[in-house]
Amino acid sequence: MTTADCDVVIIGSGPGGATAAEVLCDAGWSVVVLEKGRNHLIDLDAPHEPLRHFANDELAAHRRHLLGPDPLLEPRTYRRTEPDGDRLMVREVNNLPSTVGGGGVHADAKLPRFREEDFRLRSERGPLEGASVEDWPITYDDLEPHYSAVEQLFGVAGEDGANPFAAPRSAPYPLPPGDDMPMALVTSAAAERAGLHPYRAPTGVNSVAADGRPACTDCGFCGGYGCPVQAKNDPIAALQRALRTGRCELRPESYATELVLDGSGRCATGVRYLDLTEHPDPTTREVRARHAVVLAAGAFETPRFLLRQGLGGDLVGRYLTYHHQTFTIGVFPAECFPDGTGGERGRSVTHLHDDLVVDSAEMRRAASAVGLGWMRGGVVEHGAGPMPIEEAITYGAGGHHLASMRDSALRRRMWVFTMQGEDLPQVANRVDLDPSVRDVWGFPAGRVTYAPHRHELAASDHAAPLHEAIMRDAGAELAFSATSPPRGKLDLHAAANPLGIAPASRHVMGTTRMGTDPARSVVSPEQRLWDVDNVVVCDSSVFVTSSGYNPTLTLAALAHRAATLLVGSR
Amino acid sequence: MSRDDPQWVTAVASALDAAVPGSVELGALSYVERLLDAFEHEPPRIWAAPGAWDGPGGVVGEPAMAWLELGPWERQAWQQRLVGWRAAYDRVAASTPTDEDLRLVHEHACEATYGDPAYGGNRSGGGWRRIGFPEPLHPPVRGVSP
Repeated sequence: MTTADCDVVIIGSGPGGATAAEVLCDAGWSVVVLEKGRNHLIDLDAPHEPLRHFANDELAAHRRHLLGPDPLLEPRTYRRTEPDGDRLMVREVNNLPSTVGGGGVHADAKLPRFREEDFRLRSERGPLEGASVEDWPITYDDLEPHYSAVEQLFGVAGEDGANPFAAPRSAPYPLPPGDDMPMALVTSAAAERAGLHPYRAPTGVNSVAADGRPACTDCGFCGGYGCPVQAKNDPIAALQRALRTGRCELRPESYATELVLDGSGRCATGVRYLDLTEHPDPTTREVRARHAVVLAAGAFETPRFLLRQGLGGDLVGRYLTYHHQTFTIGVFPAECFPDGTGGERGRSVTHLHDDLVVDSAEMRRAASAVGLGWMRGGVVEHGAGPMPIEEAITYGAGGHHLASMRDSALRRRMWVFTMQGEDLPQVANRVDLDPSVRDVWGFPAGRVTYAPHRHELAASDHAAPLHEAIMRDAGAELAFSATSPPRGKLDLHAAANPLGIAPASRHVMGTTRMGTDPARSVVSPEQRLWDVDNVVVCDSSVFVTSSGYNPTLTLAALAHRAATLLVGSR
Repeated sequence: MSRDDPQWVTAVASALDAAVPGSVELGALSYVERLLDAFEHEPPRIWAAPGAWDGPGGVVGEPAMAWLELGPWERQAWQQRLVGWRAAYDRVAASTPTDEDLRLVHEHACEATYGDPAYGGNRSGGGWRRIGFPEPLHPPVRGVSP
């Protein structure tokens, strides 16, 4: 392979790009993967073993931007609505890692599938005023083989039949479920007493040694951390397999700036990028693609990339969705934690319940009570609190500090339900280009304009008291709830809220929506840009609705499907 | 007032201890000085390499492999950030801090008290011990917390 000659250029090495690379290389195609961030994950030389740069180091991971992006280099901006002016703030907004492996590096790899209804929300539930509720152009059945394929690729550990609401599967989970977090068993029992159906979370983390990597050690540093022993399979498994074919070249520190188009403007012939190994004047380089360009930069950076060139049409960046997060915090007496270590052991989350996603008489009553046609919450994660530095900062300065840390109401004695609530698509919610803030390389910063629909707020209001009661039944001496984005006056949150005023969710979706009508979507059902049809989008930006489930497995399944279709089209 | 001035040291130590009592005893001042002087070392002392601190009684590693390399743009960002932080500490030392400066001092006192000892604070893991936090091992071992 020469430096400017491959079958496909892939922009982004996260779960979408890595999955596409694996499929294409397995089919005999050659790919070049451009990754803006640094490489802390995998040796670029054969046999492509893990680099082992990661440790259980809260400072590096959470305070010093090891996984990138550094907001001084790549600021983002946020406002709720246009009347807020150009922006309310400049800082981190929904930053996923900018590093080889992308969001797969920091995630704790909860990998549930969506359900059939998630692809047919308008048909199943109907429209809601003020929201753009649409069916996807594909069904669960279309995606099911690809779900199975990526579960095998990522080595998902799960328990067949444990979730009574799960969609049908054509194959069992490849690995058995991992160890239970002891406190998750306590809150799961309480949830069952409330009539709910908790189950072991399907997780892309080795429960036993597999694929040349060890089993998870249950060290507790999972969500937000690169894994020191590489027990997380997503995305190193896919990248490693692609690289080991000898047909994949991975170029870290390569900032894709522009699609190169042919004379018609409808066919991409390559990608220009800045070589960020050079400083302060990075060279612009070009890599040429024989067949296609895969855009897998994530639902924030993918629309930002397209908007810079005016590609994709008027809907690029619109219908931005997150998960509206409702946190129910239980503060327990220390003796309630069965292993005596608080939430410090295990992965970050080992149990989920789906009851507030599915249609039920209770959810219909709740919707009717607030004048909505229907209501969906989201998957609820049973999880642990933060690590010590984050806890320490939360308490504020002063003489009480050591006593607060020893009492540890917000870490050691804390347990959290996080509802990843379905966020309805709205045309005004979007990623666009900030009119004046720029990144260090001179490109307009991405700007989020986002406010939740009243459906999300109502679903949160319904879930919070239910979960607070479960926490109290489990033994909590105090239970309370909060949301992200926060409710109420922003000036009360700007300095004091540890999650900030913008949505804290890293589940970013829906900014290059897929559909069958070019006037109402950005990409086709095959995930090709309508206006440059050899550009295939392989990340969560193609989502039509957000569902109430963690997006990674679905975006990887979509990437698997799109790459498979691409190979079949030649 | 420069950092060589004993008054700078006294004032900054006082601010750190006011934010998190006991933090200076655990090394918060050396944490801050090590951070502000991060680029006097190669690689800069920004990201400790895994296993750089090997537990109570162990040695804080100083050879090159004890710190991860920064890319050229990361170096630029951290140099820029440290210029701002040095100015913030100078204001603290001069008793003219802004609210933002005091938040920074508080955050650094927390980092110094409960972060990995490789960064110069949390002396011998004493910060973790005083709150009963199990010392992270590298690499983590199954069945040994955490």
